[in-house]
Amino acid sequence: MTSALARLRRRLRRRGIGLLHVYVGLLLLFLFLPLAVLIVFSFAASGQLRFPITGLSLRWYREVFGSSTVIDGILASLGVAVVTGAIVAAIGTLAAVVVNRYRFRGAGVVTAVILAPAALPGLVIGIALLNFFGDLHMTLSLLTVTVGHVIYTLPFFYLVLSARLRRFDPELEEAATDMGAGPLQRFRRVTAPLISPAIVASAFVVLALSWDEFQITFFTIGDQSTLPLVIWSRARLSIDPSVNAIGTLMVAGSLLVVLFTRRFIAESYS
Amino acid sequence: MGIGQGVLIPVRRQRPRRLARASRRWPLLLLLPLGVALSLGFVVPLALLFVKSFQTSLGYGQVSDHLTFSAYVTALTSPLYRTVAVNALVIGGIGTVLTLLLSFPLAYFIRFRMRRGQNTILLLIMITLFAGYIVKIYAWTTILGTYGLINTGLERIGLISQPLSVLLFSRFAVLIVVTYLSIPVSTLILVGSMQNVNRGVLENARDLGAGGLRTVTSVLVPLCMTGIVGSLAYGFVVIAGDYITPQLVGGTTGQMIGVPISDQFLTIGDQPLGSALSFLMLAVFVIVYFGLTQLERFKGI
Repeated sequence: MTSALARLRRRLRRRGIGLLHVYVGLLLLFLFLPLAVLIVFSFAASGQLRFPITGLSLRWYREVFGSSTVIDGILASLGVAVVTGAIVAAIGTLAAVVVNRYRFRGAGVVTAVILAPAALPGLVIGIALLNFFGDLHMTLSLLTVTVGHVIYTLPFFYLVLSARLRRFDPELEEAATDMGAGPLQRFRRVTAPLISPAIVASAFVVLALSWDEFQITFFTIGDQSTLPLVIWSRARLSIDPSVNAIGTLMVAGSLLVVLFTRRFIAESYS
Repeated sequence: MGIGQGVLIPVRRQRPRRLARASRRWPLLLLLPLGVALSLGFVVPLALLFVKSFQTSLGYGQVSDHLTFSAYVTALTSPLYRTVAVNALVIGGIGTVLTLLLSFPLAYFIRFRMRRGQNTILLLIMITLFAGYIVKIYAWTTILGTYGLINTGLERIGLISQPLSVLLFSRFAVLIVVTYLSIPVSTLILVGSMQNVNRGVLENARDLGAGGLRTVTSVLVPLCMTGIVGSLAYGFVVIAGDYITPQLVGGTTGQMIGVPISDQFLTIGDQPLGSALSFLMLAVFVIVYFGLTQLERFKGI
């Protein structure tokens, strides 16, 4: 057994493949295994989730596309994500520019408060908001969901954008001031054009996080469900193979978004 | 030329003063939207939840207004919450360390061993990250279930004669799933922190005679301690505070503290007790954060 292993290792090594390569391959397999299972079972003819599958069909996709709850969930999630993205981009850009560009007392406190929601579990933010909306006698709706999403995604937007801001040449802004631009004009004509690609990239992170947010949404949701809530209600009560079809569509969506934003991702890790 | 200089010099002298004056006026105005959003959406709700933890439940979702410690006393003394709290600590601790140990070699490989294709592998990791939280947990029920991939596979090759029931609806299942869920983010944090480490430093260590493992443990690990601490802190909060994974795959033995906390707020439960439990949980998180930052300082020297 050991000599067989040693022989295999020697053979792999001759081709330039070390133990680390094997390990990385296995870990990627582990990461993709659940996704592969979703995809395979989404085409299964049988409703039982047994290995191996017998027969192929598109019935779960027909079921998903014919279901108004799923379609409504997708629309609700898209709506919340877009509104959240717009609000966070506006608030977060101002905050990131001010904290990174100006020196003022309390900048550290401001940063800490912006980042704090990311250091708390979604559960605590969720129950705090539920309790707060209850005290205000507010009816829970997609609006209250959006409030939670703004708080949850703001730290991530701020972190991604700040990392980019630190790489810009401050002399460009100083040059604008030298030439007589006021703070507003300087922002509009120099800073904003320079950082707008970074704002778009950070806003995509917000969209992705909001689209998949569950732990806070669970407590702030009203009559209308977002897509993760629709999936939860199906996954929790019984074995519902339509979840596989929804999951496969989400993997496909994730692939598309990641491909679409790959330029930004590549830049942020270079 | 003379005129140009005459104009330029005073402007240059004025510049610092003007920026300084502007910086006193503008930040406050520009931070106003942020202040409103964070106060109404975060600071005030959290403060009100803290107040609630000192009130007492009168049943049916009603609370009395005078403040006591009774919710904390119940939370700390009731045996009901001890098991789930210990579970959260144990699963959170093991899951966090496991996540780090599994992600670190992958991050190291991406940063230092790949000549090309780093972006492709990062994109693959991001796809698994954004594939859907509930959906991924659900997929694991198919893998770990009685007729799932693992049980069927083991039966096929004759290692077991009947399905292992411990795989799903157990503490083991929760540990597998939470580790699975935190690996992508942990890897991205670690790759990010390794970007600041110069490849040459590792090569120097090798040239000076350090072995591969020695180079990693005594050179690379201290240099990317921020990423390691970040991964551990992130992992512990996300795992120990998870109230969904235990409900989907935890069965009776794998429940964690988040589940009873959420129950107090969903049904007509004891909301002060739920608040007290969550602030006790946050207190443990603060202690863990503090411990981790000490670790960072210790290793940084």
